[in-house]
Amino acid sequence: MNMSTTEPTGKKKHSSNKKSVNLEKEIEQLRNEIKENKNQLLRSIADFQNYQKRMEKDLKLKEEEIKRKYLSELMDINELLKKAYEDNNPKNGLKLIIENIEKFFEKEQLKSIECIGKKFDHNLHHAVSTLEKENCDDDIIVEEVKKGYMINEKLLRPSHVIVAKKKEK
Amino acid sequence: MGKIIGIDLGTTNSEVAVMEAGKPTVIKSAEGQPFFPSVVAFTKDGEMLVGEAAKRQAVTNPEGTIHRIKRKMGSGEKVKAAGKSYSPEQISAFILQKIKKDAEEYIGEKIKDAVITVPAYFNDDQRQATKDAGKIAGLNVKRIINEPTAASLAYGLDKEGDHKIAVYDFGGGTFDITLMEVGEGVFEVLSTNGDTQLGGSDMDKALVDFFAKEFQKNHNIDLRKDPKALQRLYEAAENAKIELSSTLQTDINLPYVTVIDKEPKHLEMKLTRAKLEEIISPFVEDTEQPCKQALKDAKLKPSDIDSIVLVGGTTRIPLVRKKVEEIFGKPPKRDVDPMECVAVGAAIQAGVLSGDIDKDIVLLDVTPLTLSIETLGGVSTSLIDRNTTVPTKKSKIFSTAADNQTSVDINILQGERPMATDNKSLGRFHLDGILPAPRGIPQIEVTFDIDADGILNVAAKDLGTGKEQSIRITGSTKLSDEEITKMKKEADDHAEEDKKRKEKVEIRNNGDAMVHTTQKTLEELKDKFSKEDKESLEKGLKELREALSGDDIDKIKEKTDELSKVLQKASAAIYQQAAQQYQQQQQSTDSKDDSKEESWSGKPDGDDKTIDADFKVKDDKKKSDKKD
Repeated sequence: MNMSTTEPTGKKKHSSNKKSVNLEKEIEQLRNEIKENKNQLLRSIADFQNYQKRMEKDLKLKEEEIKRKYLSELMDINELLKKAYEDNNPKNGLKLIIENIEKFFEKEQLKSIECIGKKFDHNLHHAVSTLEKENCDDDIIVEEVKKGYMINEKLLRPSHVIVAKKKEK
Repeated sequence: MGKIIGIDLGTTNSEVAVMEAGKPTVIKSAEGQPFFPSVVAFTKDGEMLVGEAAKRQAVTNPEGTIHRIKRKMGSGEKVKAAGKSYSPEQISAFILQKIKKDAEEYIGEKIKDAVITVPAYFNDDQRQATKDAGKIAGLNVKRIINEPTAASLAYGLDKEGDHKIAVYDFGGGTFDITLMEVGEGVFEVLSTNGDTQLGGSDMDKALVDFFAKEFQKNHNIDLRKDPKALQRLYEAAENAKIELSSTLQTDINLPYVTVIDKEPKHLEMKLTRAKLEEIISPFVEDTEQPCKQALKDAKLKPSDIDSIVLVGGTTRIPLVRKKVEEIFGKPPKRDVDPMECVAVGAAIQAGVLSGDIDKDIVLLDVTPLTLSIETLGGVSTSLIDRNTTVPTKKSKIFSTAADNQTSVDINILQGERPMATDNKSLGRFHLDGILPAPRGIPQIEVTFDIDADGILNVAAKDLGTGKEQSIRITGSTKLSDEEITKMKKEADDHAEEDKKRKEKVEIRNNGDAMVHTTQKTLEELKDKFSKEDKESLEKGLKELREALSGDDIDKIKEKTDELSKVLQKASAAIYQQAAQQYQQQQQSTDSKDDSKEESWSGKPDGDDKTIDADFKVKDDKKKSDKKD
């Protein structure tokens, strides 16, 4: 009886020992995993922060680059306009200057928006006022207050326009 | 859990912000603006428009366009548009839907939750209506908070202990003053006051009137009757306001503003800040009475107010800030954009609710100074730049600077100066056993790895043999503030001379590399060069070597350039020759010769050049000298 009781408990003890060794191993393994994961997490966060810093720097550089590009175009135009100002007959010169500017716009995919006589479109036009008019359909643009532009098929700024309202008889 | 957005649902414009990596970011509309006009329209074609598009068509469709719906929130009143009637909640919901959609587009995920702000004086019905509007828009409104509370949160005033705050909100069309008390992160409104018919647009109009009257004096015509001119006057007024916030005088120039009797007229005027202030002063003065009333209602003296927060674009005007200081006896806070601070505060509240803020308590260190290694000529070559967040790891491939060099010396440096001797050496070690090879051929990978505790591990590995050496340096991120400032100041003070010294070393290194390349090219292609080319190469080589033995940097540069030109010319001749041969071969279509050509162009020469630029090592200068 003694034997029969001790034997199973011994076995139990043995197996529970084994179990606890296994558990300890597992705990150790999990601890290492947690440590490794934590390290990975911190590194990912640090990587992200460093990436953000780099992006900020890049963005600033990019901004400067774009500024430089457009400012130098503007400087050239300014020089030419000064010459035109000194010119007694500046018309021909001014014509060429305007052509140059428009060529530059074209190169940059900038397109002006046609509006006079077209139907008002909120995607392209901004109505500043209405004008009562006879013999004219509603919502037809009768005057352009400020030219609008598209860049790469996207709206840069809408045309500011005056829209016809049919005169009630 | 998804992101929670913070929305400032305004009377004329609305804004939205979200926490990103612990920082509030204002989200732009699909039209590219940092705000959304609070306008909804129903066109004759049955289309619904919200925001910018609705605003653009407003004057053509007054019956179908709804503005300022915020004023009707909670009133139970219905609004009619295009023959249908809508509750203010529905209209606000359309605005919120547009905001939600554009924010989702920006963030790249679905948004379910939001924090929305309301004026402090909104009653329960108005707050409930705002909540309902969120629900209709498909948003779960996590919290409704007061606009002045949000503005205070944007300034972090909830963390400054018990104190009293005045929020002075001067927008385009309304003025609000709110006095609050904050304690243990809880805000309590003490009193509110304001004027719903007072705003920056009144100032713009007064300015336009002034311009128009001045013009009328001289030309006897009212520009305000000409819509084209009126538009330009408004733009000029806006620009003048901005300009005069930082300067004392500005020119108002509107060329070709109108045509009188077929003669074009220009508007030319000078406007001083004093004149501008005279024009807008009545409106600014009008804000004083509500402030005094609010103080009286709260039973406070101006000196009881601890901090003043500014909200609304109009508060950017210096005169307005002066007035605020005059009323409360102390300067207002002004480092958060007054147009954005309510939405930013709402986003901060949203971040707290979603746990975003707590998560970011993982505060990571940064490297206070640049970490580099010493390379050929005593130059510091950086691996990890100053202000890099740790833990981090960076690797770079280096090579040898001399033929048959078998060991490299890795000297780890800290500091901003370009020359190694001026920086602090943190430690050094050797990597031996590199196989003898021409300079620039061995590949040695140097890795800097800083862990979260600031411990720096530097390892150098010969990628050819797999041999590795490393060193562990503690405390690379632990420098006292004085030490950092001192080292940075030194770097700034010596920036100019350091640059020159580095240039000198670079010129010398380039000269060395040129000698090496030429020598090698001469050896390998001796049969291909013409006699004259060979002679001029040898002559150039001799002269450059002589220059290098001296100290005249300009001469080294000159001779290096000369030799480079000669070498290019000689190489070009060889290529031409090869091209001719190739053509002949092409004609006879001999595939064997083709492959020969490939292996020729794949000679180590090419490789040599690419790596060379990178490369150097310290103690081989002596070795190469010896060799030479």
